[in-house]
Amino acid sequence: MNISYNWLKDLIDTRLSVEETACELTRVGLAVEGVHPHGDDHVFDIDLTSNRPDCLSHLGVARELAVIRNSKLKNKNSETEGKPKAENQTLVNIEDADLCHRFTARILRNVKIGQSPQWLVDRLEAIGERAINNVADITNYVMHELGQPMHSFDLDKLTENRIVVRRAKNGETITTLDEVERKLDDRMLAICDAKKPVAVAGVMGGLASGITETTTNVLLEVAYFDRANIRATSRKLNLATEASYRFERGVDIENLIRASNRATELICELAGGEAAEFIDVYPTKFTPSEVESADISAATRRLTGLDVSTEDCNRILNALGIVVSDESAIRDPQSTIYLSPSWRHDIAIEEDLVEEVARHAGYEKIADELPPAFGAGEYQPTELRERRLRYCLAALGFDEALSYSFIDLRHDGPFQLVPHLVDGTLEEKFVTLRDSVIEGAVRMRPTILPGLLEAVRLNMNHQRRDIKLFEIGKVFAAVGGDGLPKEQKLLALALTGSELQEGRSMTGRPLDLYDAKGAIEAALGSAGIASVSCRASEATHLRLGQSAEILIGDQVLGYVGRLSEDVAARYKFRQAVFVAELDIATALAGPGDLIAYKPLAKFPGVARDVSFVVPRRVELGAILSEVSEVGIDLCRKASFVDVYEGKGLAENERSVTIRLEYRSDERTLTEEEVEPLHQMIVDQVTNKLGIVVRV
Amino acid sequence: MSEEERQIQGIREAFEQEFERFAALNLDGMALSDAEARLQELRELRIRQTGKRSAIAGAMKLIGRVAPHERSAFGQLVQSVEKLIAGTIDAAEILLSDHISAARTELERLDVTLPGRRPRTGHLHPITILRQRIEDIFVAMGYAIEDDREIETDYYNFDALNIPEAHPARESQDTFYTTKGFALRSQTSTVQIRAMERRGVPIRILAPGRVFRRDTPDMTHTPMFHQLEGLCVDKGITMGHLKGTVTEWLKRMYGPDTVTRFRPSYFPFTEPSAEFDFSCFKCAGTGVFESERCRPCKGSGWIELGGSGMVHPNVLRSCGVDPTVYSGFAFGFGLERMTALMYNIDDIRHMFENDVRFLEQFR
Ligand SMILES: [Zn+2]
Repeated sequence: MNISYNWLKDLIDTRLSVEETACELTRVGLAVEGVHPHGDDHVFDIDLTSNRPDCLSHLGVARELAVIRNSKLKNKNSETEGKPKAENQTLVNIEDADLCHRFTARILRNVKIGQSPQWLVDRLEAIGERAINNVADITNYVMHELGQPMHSFDLDKLTENRIVVRRAKNGETITTLDEVERKLDDRMLAICDAKKPVAVAGVMGGLASGITETTTNVLLEVAYFDRANIRATSRKLNLATEASYRFERGVDIENLIRASNRATELICELAGGEAAEFIDVYPTKFTPSEVESADISAATRRLTGLDVSTEDCNRILNALGIVVSDESAIRDPQSTIYLSPSWRHDIAIEEDLVEEVARHAGYEKIADELPPAFGAGEYQPTELRERRLRYCLAALGFDEALSYSFIDLRHDGPFQLVPHLVDGTLEEKFVTLRDSVIEGAVRMRPTILPGLLEAVRLNMNHQRRDIKLFEIGKVFAAVGGDGLPKEQKLLALALTGSELQEGRSMTGRPLDLYDAKGAIEAALGSAGIASVSCRASEATHLRLGQSAEILIGDQVLGYVGRLSEDVAARYKFRQAVFVAELDIATALAGPGDLIAYKPLAKFPGVARDVSFVVPRRVELGAILSEVSEVGIDLCRKASFVDVYEGKGLAENERSVTIRLEYRSDERTLTEEEVEPLHQMIVDQVTNKLGIVVRV
Repeated sequence: MSEEERQIQGIREAFEQEFERFAALNLDGMALSDAEARLQELRELRIRQTGKRSAIAGAMKLIGRVAPHERSAFGQLVQSVEKLIAGTIDAAEILLSDHISAARTELERLDVTLPGRRPRTGHLHPITILRQRIEDIFVAMGYAIEDDREIETDYYNFDALNIPEAHPARESQDTFYTTKGFALRSQTSTVQIRAMERRGVPIRILAPGRVFRRDTPDMTHTPMFHQLEGLCVDKGITMGHLKGTVTEWLKRMYGPDTVTRFRPSYFPFTEPSAEFDFSCFKCAGTGVFESERCRPCKGSGWIELGGSGMVHPNVLRSCGVDPTVYSGFAFGFGLERMTALMYNIDDIRHMFENDVRFLEQFR
């Protein structure tokens, strides 16, 4: 909203400088975002809040200044002049008074359409408006001065030279001033002549009935329309204008005559017109909204902490046009009834009065204070463990990603979703948006992986080949019935390329599945969950044979593995990419593993390594569980040493080395004691699994 | 000169002759292996020249055989030659050893400016870093961190927040809707309602989270971003407490000299309402940094951060809280905007592109 400093000075005596004015207006809530010089004038760029349509004019801003300076507005044009002398009942007929609360029309004859004088052009240009012709400029000028939109018709183009205000009929059309033909319906209010719509009420006039160079007789409409109806019509026609903007927020119904007179005066002066008939049809009289306050000073103190006397409160409110009702004392001596002025549509409750008092008393006068002590602060239940997990992943070289919650529809198909997320019995399993602002991104993600893989691709496009990313975020799935969708927090990883060293450009070992698995183990371990395991499993987006379920205890919480060729091809990945995704919310819901201390060993142990040659389907897990099956008490620990494939072994074979540790709590074991036990274990493992010891 | 004396003279000459190549030794630039070979030879020479079977050792045995009156003079002579031989070898050995240890040091000298050996460290997202910092401050001030649904009903997203049908914020072009008619929350204020329903009052919560608005991505807009919302409801809460709390938080964030400014504004869920600014962390509110117009505050000295106010009585009532007994304040702001200001990020779309070149600048 642009407001001219010189124009303000036409409306109010002010000694405030340009800078002071800007500062003071900002202080009371009319945020001046910028001050721009324009000739000998200065223009304020004011960012108005949507509750203050009354300030969409110079009069409105001057009113705020008057309160600030405790001064009076100049009343340039009287309201008495031009009060209807003879009501021409046939000139205006309001059929739908529910949508048109008041309508005034002024006839002006012998008008000469031409250019506006320079001062008027200057004024309009100062606030960024373009001059068109004298009559159009005057109506625009008066709107910016007094806040009242108005419309001028070419009287001679109105059938029977009269106005009917009614709902449009379904199928009626009008070509508006912007030369677009618009279809009207019976929920839109139209300004019509005897036959047809000549304007969309409060939004835009019709082209055919508009002012042209040849117009001599003008009908000036100044009216008040139902706010919600104007808003609905404007939305429906997808047509927002300066007029509709003001009407839908609310104009001053008691200011119509002043506005009409001001325009009439200017048209007579600048376009040679003669003021003729005037009519004011006012079927829905304004009634001020009443706001009750037992003690405005106390209410102000209670909400803001400010001490403002009742007298000062009332002075501020009065200056803003909010007056004490004459009936106040009669109706209830214990409280005061305030009446909101016709230009304010936002004063309904005592708190609104408090805000008016507080903003003029000054927010800066409110003393900073901390609320009295309360309970202890607390994080989200899993926040601190989540933080450890985040730091752990960062320490392992993972960068934290955040990706959009909506993804492209075609992305969720290939991915195996974490268990129990989606209700497979539903026809519509996912949450879908009606539309999006990003082409195609209408699916509320049921998996984080597409976002991460998109990020991997972006980084590869920037010549990054060695990437480790993680994200913690919500995924979504539909639920049956009309229930709110399911939201679940997941952790996802994506990694590719080789190990990186800080500050060294040479890359290290290529990353593999065990880096992904290790990251999950480390991250969950840092959050207190050590019992993480993996089980071979086929997930749709993962490569066969390099795909596993992630388990905590017996519960499957997600998947880890190498991206399948199929999915990799979608992203044009030419190197192996490893991903993992798991239900971190469920993982962290438990209390975390308890730590049970074991006494330190008193006697040294004996360690024996043994290598088995196994077919590739025999897993380390099977070997270790066979070892414990044997049940040798003195065998305290069986651990993984190494795995070997290649030279000396058949193609389908691999050699797995494990270390067995024998120890007694009573004595130091001898080789002779250990040997038969070890042999027994090795024999049983080889027999049971049908494998052999590598020699 | 006696026979014995000539013999001693001979020993001395023989030594000097054999030692000559060590005397003439040029250590400058001598390789470590050469020096070590020379040292070895020198040690062998020492054995030959001073060992049990050396000529000088034999001469020592002669001392007893010399006539008593000449014995003392002869003894001194033998000893002086012996001393000369040993001393000359010692000196040469020290020179060689010093050269060797210096050469060895040079050989093992490391370039301490090479990077320390460590795996590449990953980085937390700047939004996470900032969120955690702010959460820490508010937890220390007695607030509970709350999070809640991102997909909401119109009731929680609008109605309960006193956002009327007619309010611009409610127009569907600003809000994402699912095909089932649920809204993606357009502000974290929804958490106020759910938290008050769940916890009742008095209450002090801070709710960070994702919110969604139908903005086409550009330098300053993304259709998803993060907001942080604070709420405090109790008996006797005033705007003074709002100002005090926001100021305390910003002082802890940006230093004790930070000041705040509250300007009247309008939000449907608060009355009275205020926007809050704080003195620029870069130019300390002067608007000038390094004699140029300060960038984060655009030269104004103030950074506009968020909205706030006293919780609207309709909002309290919709959570079953009696506004004549309780009052409260709420404030909220966007994390992306704050992050962009702090790190001078010109395009907030970077926040969700996950370009490692962006991410690795934060820790
Ligand atoms: Zn600054």
